[in-house]
Amino acid sequence: MSESVVSVSDLTRRFGATTALASVNLSMPRGAVYGLVGANGAGKTTLIKHILGLLRAQSGSVRVFGLDPVADPVGVLSRIGYLSEENDLPGWMRVAELTRYSRAFNPGWDDGYAEELLQAFALDPTAKIKNLSRGQKARAGLLIALAYRPELLVLDEPSSGLDPIVRRDILGAVIRTIAHEGRTVLFSSHLLEEVEQVADHVTMIHRGTIALSAPLDEIRESHRVGDRVPSLDEIFVAHVGTLAASGPDA
Amino acid sequence: MRSAGLAIAWEFRHRHRWGLIAIAGYLIVLASVKLLILGARQPIHLDTPASFGFVVVVPLTATFTYFLAVFSFGLAGDLAARQSIYPARMFTLPVTTAALAGWPMLYGSAAMTALWLATRLVALWPSGVHVPLIWPALLAAALVAWTQALTWMPYPLPGLRVIVTVLWLAVIDTVVLLALQYRAPEAVMLAILAPQVPLAFLVARAAVARARRGDVPDWRGAFGRLGPVASVLPSRRRHFRSAERAQAWFEWRRHGWTLPALVGILLPFELALLFASGNSPAFVFVILLGVLLTPPFMAVFVAPAVGKSNPYVRDSYGVTPFIATRPMTGAALIAAKLKATIRSTLAAWLLVLVAIPLALHLSGTGPMVIDRVRRFTAVVGAPHAIVIGLLGLAGFMASTWKRLVQSLYIGLTGRRRLVKAGVFLTLAFLVALGPIAQWVTDHPAVQAALWNGFPWILGVLICFKMCAAAWVATRLYRGRVLSDRTLVIGAAWWCVTVLALYAVLAWLFFTPFFPRYLLGLVAILAVPLARLSAAPLALARSRHR
Repeated sequence: MSESVVSVSDLTRRFGATTALASVNLSMPRGAVYGLVGANGAGKTTLIKHILGLLRAQSGSVRVFGLDPVADPVGVLSRIGYLSEENDLPGWMRVAELTRYSRAFNPGWDDGYAEELLQAFALDPTAKIKNLSRGQKARAGLLIALAYRPELLVLDEPSSGLDPIVRRDILGAVIRTIAHEGRTVLFSSHLLEEVEQVADHVTMIHRGTIALSAPLDEIRESHRVGDRVPSLDEIFVAHVGTLAASGPDA
Repeated sequence: MRSAGLAIAWEFRHRHRWGLIAIAGYLIVLASVKLLILGARQPIHLDTPASFGFVVVVPLTATFTYFLAVFSFGLAGDLAARQSIYPARMFTLPVTTAALAGWPMLYGSAAMTALWLATRLVALWPSGVHVPLIWPALLAAALVAWTQALTWMPYPLPGLRVIVTVLWLAVIDTVVLLALQYRAPEAVMLAILAPQVPLAFLVARAAVARARRGDVPDWRGAFGRLGPVASVLPSRRRHFRSAERAQAWFEWRRHGWTLPALVGILLPFELALLFASGNSPAFVFVILLGVLLTPPFMAVFVAPAVGKSNPYVRDSYGVTPFIATRPMTGAALIAAKLKATIRSTLAAWLLVLVAIPLALHLSGTGPMVIDRVRRFTAVVGAPHAIVIGLLGLAGFMASTWKRLVQSLYIGLTGRRRLVKAGVFLTLAFLVALGPIAQWVTDHPAVQAALWNGFPWILGVLICFKMCAAAWVATRLYRGRVLSDRTLVIGAAWWCVTVLALYAVLAWLFFTPFFPRYLLGLVAILAVPLARLSAAPLALARSRHR
């Protein structure tokens, strides 16, 4: 648990006059399930894009596996499985083509595991991605993110707008990933009850700054009122001072 | 807003205000030139192609196309999709289907009519040339109305929308051209065109009604059965041997077929002219030249798609997160694009090289062409003739590929305005090329000045090219976008290619009319350097913003 998979220090990012991230510091130990929570526009996706190297740090530094993701995209991305909220899988591909294509990029691709996931997610290999429902697209994205057993699984609002069955699949994927020793998960969501189910460390981000970052048990314990342990939802509202997290669109 | 009609009008006006301001600005400038500079009584001469092209054809055609796209909602819709391109968000408005179809059609028709009247008034008046007033305005309104009706219709197959719309507009154009050919009086023209807008409205209302209730026919089942059959073929089941091969496959599937498909669509129409050539050698060779110029010409229009992240979706510029998160270097991603463009070029030329002999044989013009080739061979000698033929072919192919890749860096920046400005400038250049060429042809003094200054013009262009290349190379090196080895190998390949081209040109144009240094300058300019090497830089900036 001592080695940091992701290390972010003093990261600041501005888009014009808007400060998306302000001096963010984060250190993710290996083998942890990290829950990144915050309202829409809080800076979760911006932070994840820096970790993936899709955004260049304007000030501060980002290191993933000790590497700069912008300078060494191959070294970093070949060890990361990524599923985004946008889910921009190429619509013209068939599911079988998507797995065949994704397999080429990852030497550690496990054909047996991919087949197992294909069956579990009930995906038709001959179906075109653009003809899949939103939930099936999320499952297809999850399949190619998991099938090579990445060292770091990054899920950016993966269950946003999806039905409970797909959300259960996603949580199952997180649990399967951490079942393999030494693998790490970064799970961004505004559905706090989901984060509460799987995360062992929670970081609350609000208006580009880290409002709270600690192990989940520690957070619960420090917010205990008598015998009652508040939910993460209540803790979030108490810290961020908004009801933004209570609705599904928050 | 007091009514749905006003709200829809506001949306058109607000979303496209900059385009409308540009058109209004053009008309004001044109009116000022006519009234203040040329004087009210001095006409703009329409008897020269240059002035007609600059003043009338270019702005009218550009604005006409723009209005077609704006009022059919084509700028925001997916033309290739089966679903209607009418914005689905408007289906939930509490207005009738007739209003949804009618208001945009009314505004489109009014805009087209106003465009024609303004153009006629400002650009043609007082030229003294008789230009009809009513029926061209009706034609313009009919074209936009039918475009709206046919693009709003849901279709059973992807891509069918474009085919149906183009064919129907071509039918209307053909009817009008035939009527003009037979000198139909104005009353006949009006009788043909006046019912078009009401008819188009009825079709549009039915189309929007279908789209509104989600009634999208689907014939894909008939073709879908081929999918599983194709997927069991060995080539589709085999794994890719490397990430580079997988990415090259991805790029080929994404936009590789576009150029061969477009060339394949045009070729039959061009080669059909051979059957009407009457064995006139000049006409036959003009047709063949046109066919040979088709791939490089079409490549200009395909090139913007190569840089797009999704050729089927508008405004999808730069790199999508899916591609950006591929564990590949920027150079490898660019290499995959270049490989796909090479394959695309070869496929397009394969079609041309198969179609030309076939058409010559079927049209009976083959013996005449063979006879001319034999005469040419007798004059220059067989080795020269073969080499010239092969070099010509290689030149056409290289030109096609160059056009596909030279604007790659613009699309990869992901900057929507830059991409659109690039497309606009290319179109403006193509439209202006004809009048400028005509102007140069008509003025011997200009030709002499151009010929005398030719080396200087080339010199200045080379200075620009080398400065741009140096700037790009410095950025590539400092940003560690490409390795030192790749940069050195790339520069060495460029030098070798330039020298080889120079040697070929020197051998081919062994004449005192072309000084050697001039051939050297041409070779330096012909081989892509700055714009091609800017592609990895643009990709890096788009991938890691």
